[in-house]
Amino acid sequence: MHENIANIENSKRAKKKEHANQSRENRNMAMMMPPRLNPTDSASGPKQHQTWSPYDNNGGTCVAIAGADYCVIAADTRMSTGFSILTRDHSKIFVISETCALASSGFQADISALQKNLDARHQTYQHQHGKQMSCPAMAQLLSNTLYYKRFFPYYAFNVLGGLDDQGKGCVYSYDAVGSYERVGYAAQGSGMQLIMPVLDNQLKSASPLVLPKRETATPLTEAEAVDLVKDTFASAAERDIYTGDGVEIVTINARGIQKQYMELKKD
Amino acid sequence: MAEAAIALPPKGGFNFDLCKRNAMLEKNGIALPRFRKTGTTIVGLVFKDGVILGADTRATEGEIVCDKNCEKIHYMAPNIYCCGAGTAADTENVTDMVRSQLELHRYATNRESRVVTALTMLKTHLFGYRGQVSAALVLGGVDVTGPHLHTVYPHGSTDTLPFATMGSGSLAAMSVFESRYKEDMDKEEGMEIVSAAICAGIFNDLGSGSNVDLCILTKGKTEYLRNYQKPNPRSYIRSKGYDFARGHTAILSTRITPLKDQVTIIEGDAMEE
Amino acid sequence: MLQSNKTEFSDSVFAREGTDRISRPRSRWIFLLGAWFRVLELSEQRVSMFLTRSEYDRGVNTFSPEGRLFQVEYAIEAIKLGSTAVGLKTKYGVVLAVEKRITSTLLEPSSVDKIMEIDSHIGCAASGLTADAPTLVEHGRVETQNHRFSYNEPMSVESTTQALCDLALRFGEGDEDSMSRPFGVSLLIAGYDENGPSLYITDPSGTFWECDAKAIGSGSEGADSSLQEHYNKEMTLEEAELLALSTLKQVMEEKVTAANVDIAKVAPTYHLYTPTEVEAVIGRL
Repeated sequence: MHENIANIENSKRAKKKEHANQSRENRNMAMMMPPRLNPTDSASGPKQHQTWSPYDNNGGTCVAIAGADYCVIAADTRMSTGFSILTRDHSKIFVISETCALASSGFQADISALQKNLDARHQTYQHQHGKQMSCPAMAQLLSNTLYYKRFFPYYAFNVLGGLDDQGKGCVYSYDAVGSYERVGYAAQGSGMQLIMPVLDNQLKSASPLVLPKRETATPLTEAEAVDLVKDTFASAAERDIYTGDGVEIVTINARGIQKQYMELKKD
Repeated sequence: MAEAAIALPPKGGFNFDLCKRNAMLEKNGIALPRFRKTGTTIVGLVFKDGVILGADTRATEGEIVCDKNCEKIHYMAPNIYCCGAGTAADTENVTDMVRSQLELHRYATNRESRVVTALTMLKTHLFGYRGQVSAALVLGGVDVTGPHLHTVYPHGSTDTLPFATMGSGSLAAMSVFESRYKEDMDKEEGMEIVSAAICAGIFNDLGSGSNVDLCILTKGKTEYLRNYQKPNPRSYIRSKGYDFARGHTAILSTRITPLKDQVTIIEGDAMEE
Repeated sequence: MLQSNKTEFSDSVFAREGTDRISRPRSRWIFLLGAWFRVLELSEQRVSMFLTRSEYDRGVNTFSPEGRLFQVEYAIEAIKLGSTAVGLKTKYGVVLAVEKRITSTLLEPSSVDKIMEIDSHIGCAASGLTADAPTLVEHGRVETQNHRFSYNEPMSVESTTQALCDLALRFGEGDEDSMSRPFGVSLLIAGYDENGPSLYITDPSGTFWECDAKAIGSGSEGADSSLQEHYNKEMTLEEAELLALSTLKQVMEEKVTAANVDIAKVAPTYHLYTPTEVEAVIGRL
């Protein structure tokens, strides 16, 4: 159950079986590693083309903004591969609990596996502790879950948003292997480079050197934040070919979870 | 010295001076710069009275749209137009070179240009560069011998067809032609099918997007319908706008330099009137 | 034995506050109680048909025909031999106090630790076969640290108690790492979490209860009745320290000194009193 520290308890047994495990672990490791189909032997040798990859990028953009008493989590609904659209209405937002939602872009197969994993862990947590997991707890769990696959990562770029124990909005931004940080707002995915500077301009103080330091929560009202999110997505859809079709916006506040949808360009 | 650096080759053509260096850099893992590509949908169709060419208006650099409303139907002659897909610089230059040669040819012969002339010039040029000039073209026009529609591939091969598609959206567009094409269509029906084919590319191919351009070539008449359809307006505009209040930018320090003392005449006489 | 135990507890001062948390069975023992009552009626008539008690009390994993596990019941008996430990909950925190039973003046008092820290917000006092306590506490420490690792938050006191009871039940499985017999120790678990302070008691059967105040060990009967008489929910932490110590004093044979009692509080973090601090409380008696 506790694959991490609980193993300390079993260290005695583990030592005895160490030798036997060694070869099995090696085999497991080999299975964990992505298959290397293009061994580049020497620089002079002929270049071999990679014919297959365990990963694909299905594109898409995720944004989250934390306010004083709300959190807005948004993602477009296009799922694509290469120059083709696979579907125009695939939700990238996974509502984990009453105070927590996860938006992910990247490889949708890995993302759905990750979502199922987190959902199962959350279900177990509820049975064990008789309460829903808080958003900060889910943030730590997600980091661990991602780092657990450090050498064959989930190809997923996540933004976790929700309310913390004090009811304040919180946003966590991740890389694919679990490095994470609590921030006031975040963008991930194919439109990140387009959206992030706009959010920086609209939501952050002019310079990190300006004192007093501002809070992570944005000063915008909930309606203003939703308005800004809609506009950044409309803008990203203009210039990013992987962002479009529609944007799903999840708002979490004291009243609960509200979802809304806005059409985007379909080209 | 400075002249040598900017001098163009005397007889036209490409400068290959840096090929060896670039090959060495590429081998050492330095990536070539990305070109502006028109991941494109371009089509052509022969109808009862002539030819209709169509194109989308998106130009991309990788995953970013760099021009939302570019022109992909190029003028070749008053009676000949050519749609270009591939590297934007190649399609623009190759069509422009042939355009000027056709014009000179018309001065020399005093006759209307023929579509096959343009076609031959294009394929000769492209074949000479063995596909390195990456232009994929749909060439259409009406000349003394009637309406013609051709496709030209980057390596120099050509086709002569009643309907043609090119670019990354070619499959999407071709599906429309294959299901709806008929011989001897009238102009309205032709325009409808061509714009439907371009829209198929715009909506189903991520390399194509924005608007529909059409060009209708008939005997003695050319109609260039720029932005014939605009099916992709912006979906939302922020109600608050992005106006910044006066004083929004913090002033960190101020220094005033008086301008009047900048120029002083030390010696010499005033200029004579 | 199990039955009488149960009655005793329901008489005592524990009060589980009605909460809206998801309810779930405390342990399999709850179910066993019901089953046992049914079996009891039948078995009385045909006791002669079955083997006598002495032959059922050997295996830890063999029920008697009456539906009893004698080894577990004997383990519960072992606690009644242990030194007395007292726990009190106030609105401001929880106080634990134990009698250390220093049997010789040559014994180093600080080496007898019957109060241990599980996590910074949870402490526990042990009575019974106290040599078993470190095994349980170590398990609790791993569980709470693992929870912090996984969720970046402290584990709730109830979940920690449940985790300890899970281990308490994990005996006689034949597995080389698990206990061959039930743990002979009972724990008073004091903690402070998001729901405020709480006090739990566990026993060798893996059952646990939440209490306002509770004593375990040899003097528990007297101590419990004293607690019932003097405890009230509005006590301050200082009053609780005093009540804990005076209750201990009543049931202890020796004089109360800083050497032969330990006091700890969780308010809201665990703190084991230094001899000087214990001295100060003794001074207020």
